[in-house]
Amino acid sequence: MTTTAKTPDRIDAILRACRLMLRMNKARPDARKSEVLYYEMLIDYCTQLATAKQQGRFIAAHTVFFPSEVLYAMDIVPMHTETTSWMTALFLGQYADLLAAGAEQGLSSEICSPHRGLAGALSIGALPRPDAVLWSNMVCDNTAKCGELLMKITGSPGFFLDRPFQRSEAEVRYFVEELRDMITFLEVQSGLKMDWDKLSQTVRHMDEQIDLFREINRLREAVPSPFHPQGFLELVTVDYLFPGRPKATEYLRTLRDEMAAAVAEHRGAVPKERYRLMTLFMPPMYLIGFLEKLSREYGAVSTTEPFFCNWGEGRLDPAKPLESVARKSYMLPESHMFGPMGEKAIGEIVDSARRHRVDGAVYYADVGCRHTCAVIKLFKDALSEIDVPVLTVDCDVVDPTITSEGEVREKLERFFELLDDRR
Amino acid sequence: MVSTVCADSRCASPRVIERFKEANLTFPKSPEILAAKAGGQKVMGWVCTYVPEELLHAAGALPVRISGYGKETDLQDGTAYFYVNNCSFARSCLQLGLKGEYEYLDGFVAGSTCDAARRLFDLWRHYVPVPFSHVMTVPRKYSERALDLYLAQVLELKKGLEDHLGVEITDEALMKSIALHNESRSLLRALNDLRKLDEPPIDGDQTMEVSNAGSRMPKETFNDCLRGLLRELDHSSPVRKGKARIMIAGSALNNAEFIQSIERIGGLVVTDELCTGTRYWADPVVVDHEEPLKAIARRYLNNFPCARMYPSEERFQRMLRLIREFRVDGVISQTIRYCSPYSNDLPLLSDVLNRNGVPMLSLDVEYGTSGSGQILTRVQAFLEMLEARRK
Repeated sequence: MTTTAKTPDRIDAILRACRLMLRMNKARPDARKSEVLYYEMLIDYCTQLATAKQQGRFIAAHTVFFPSEVLYAMDIVPMHTETTSWMTALFLGQYADLLAAGAEQGLSSEICSPHRGLAGALSIGALPRPDAVLWSNMVCDNTAKCGELLMKITGSPGFFLDRPFQRSEAEVRYFVEELRDMITFLEVQSGLKMDWDKLSQTVRHMDEQIDLFREINRLREAVPSPFHPQGFLELVTVDYLFPGRPKATEYLRTLRDEMAAAVAEHRGAVPKERYRLMTLFMPPMYLIGFLEKLSREYGAVSTTEPFFCNWGEGRLDPAKPLESVARKSYMLPESHMFGPMGEKAIGEIVDSARRHRVDGAVYYADVGCRHTCAVIKLFKDALSEIDVPVLTVDCDVVDPTITSEGEVREKLERFFELLDDRR
Repeated sequence: MVSTVCADSRCASPRVIERFKEANLTFPKSPEILAAKAGGQKVMGWVCTYVPEELLHAAGALPVRISGYGKETDLQDGTAYFYVNNCSFARSCLQLGLKGEYEYLDGFVAGSTCDAARRLFDLWRHYVPVPFSHVMTVPRKYSERALDLYLAQVLELKKGLEDHLGVEITDEALMKSIALHNESRSLLRALNDLRKLDEPPIDGDQTMEVSNAGSRMPKETFNDCLRGLLRELDHSSPVRKGKARIMIAGSALNNAEFIQSIERIGGLVVTDELCTGTRYWADPVVVDHEEPLKAIARRYLNNFPCARMYPSEERFQRMLRLIREFRVDGVISQTIRYCSPYSNDLPLLSDVLNRNGVPMLSLDVEYGTSGSGQILTRVQAFLEMLEARRK
């Protein structure tokens, strides 16, 4: 175990930041009920993490897109490592501390900042020490390779969930058995038992949630767009942190109803919608507030983010809960980005651009993400065939030293000018 | 330079090592590949050591490993298509593909081994189209379940090849291919065993030339030439000395000059942990108790692993075994920038080597580098440190 420079964990601080945001939102006359629910869920999540140790509950740290439905069904407290470390970096302005701590663990600067940051966060004790580390290869080499170092840093046992790259029936079956092994591992480590009825119930909720995600996505095809400019980040977070949770279903139903009402009243999310954009990959987290303001200033709305909002086909079956969890991993919008990039996946981007009537696309080229950057040209070429220009913004999703607010503003303003000229 | 004469009639060059060098120097358009193509043989490109060559060979095709030139190359197109933050090995491969250097390919087979390989497949399929393209899912574990899944992938590739080429890949053809490839592995092992000597008869850079040629020539010709080289080496005097015995580890490396530059300043490179070196030939296909396809699948999944596999301990233990067998004084790890599997493993590897008293020098490199001044300065200091430890 190589944990250094121990400090009290920072979950309490994140919790205070979430509570403040909730209060600010409630005070706004135009506050969405769904937004209130969203912050309440975040608070619940952080409260659970902050109090888990005192209550003797078992904490499992897991990587992004990990099927945390399984953890909820076992009454294990999930800790989404990327999101919790991002929140630490963002809400507390401590990205530099975390990245420096990651570097101290021997991670090179070419490993993406979220993974360097989460190793750093665990090494300095910014996050609670997990009782187990769970990781998978559902995203990229960094998620596939981060677990052993996290085990060493935390001194916790771990399980690597090997999720096959493609989606044949043999691969789904393999993944189901991997999930079964992981459950056995967790039962041994935690002394808790899988509650299959609870998992089944979770899958039932998840199935409804996926339908709601799809419905919300369809509502965003409307002109003007009924969802606020960077709203998709809320949707992403809901699936990252609360999959299959009853309150997430309530949130999505509420949001769906709010959006349906806005569409019926031709009410847009920004005062005057001028540019409908496709967002490709993740904008810098530290610029979200700025991007939201800029979007309102220019009437620019992200109406589609295919790799965060376009759920794949299929239904989940509560009678086959584990198989459903496995199948869901292939239905995730992100799985299309991180899976094989064939004609079908590219065609879906083009189709999405058409359906959402986008004027242009913004590609946030995260310097640490090989997977997403390697397909920029593929997407640009595909979108150019339907006359949709693509702006590439070089950035880092967490580290603000890579690009500044001023640079991003200048690039986006020029892009908006280009879109004007094309009219 | 070791002066050798190829005794085999099929090796026309008077100096076998030159034959291997020529195959590398002219690659991808090596005379042997072009001759095979001109003779009507299908040529199948493959990426990463988790694609079973035997299967391509048994289908009647010439398997050719996709790589860059193995030297510093202008990567303008590769970078434009791949973006700068992908490893320069993958960008080099694509660069050559876009330039038409692999225009003879009838197929392209890849494995889902790492992010760069997966995306190389996507980009190749789109921008360098070939009549047949196939990507295999490669599990990251060594379990029997993983083997079953990988075997299903091997079967799928077999069917794809049969359908596309209009051939039947029989067990008999597979057994012949296995024997041929095992012989190749066995000859490469014999060559590498010579490096265990105090004063080996062959340099590290020459061994790399041989190893590179192994996936760039028809195996039949390669084996003939390598037999010739071994015969000559049996009769040559040991001449190689150095300040310290070195293992090269890390990302894909094809540039023999990189090794030569280390040897020029006194390093004796005796072994490696490279997919272009030991990991390429390390384990044979064992067919004693299994169907040939299952034996192939077992070998490829359980071979000396890439850093992509879990748990990493398996790779580390095999490295330690080599370190003992070849009496390695120090490890030079060369990680291509943006090579995630090896970058992520470095802190763990460093810890393992440290616990075992083996010093490691970690270098960040670009694929094809021949060893710049800065790199050599660091290597020089490392060698001096190792030399001091030996005294």
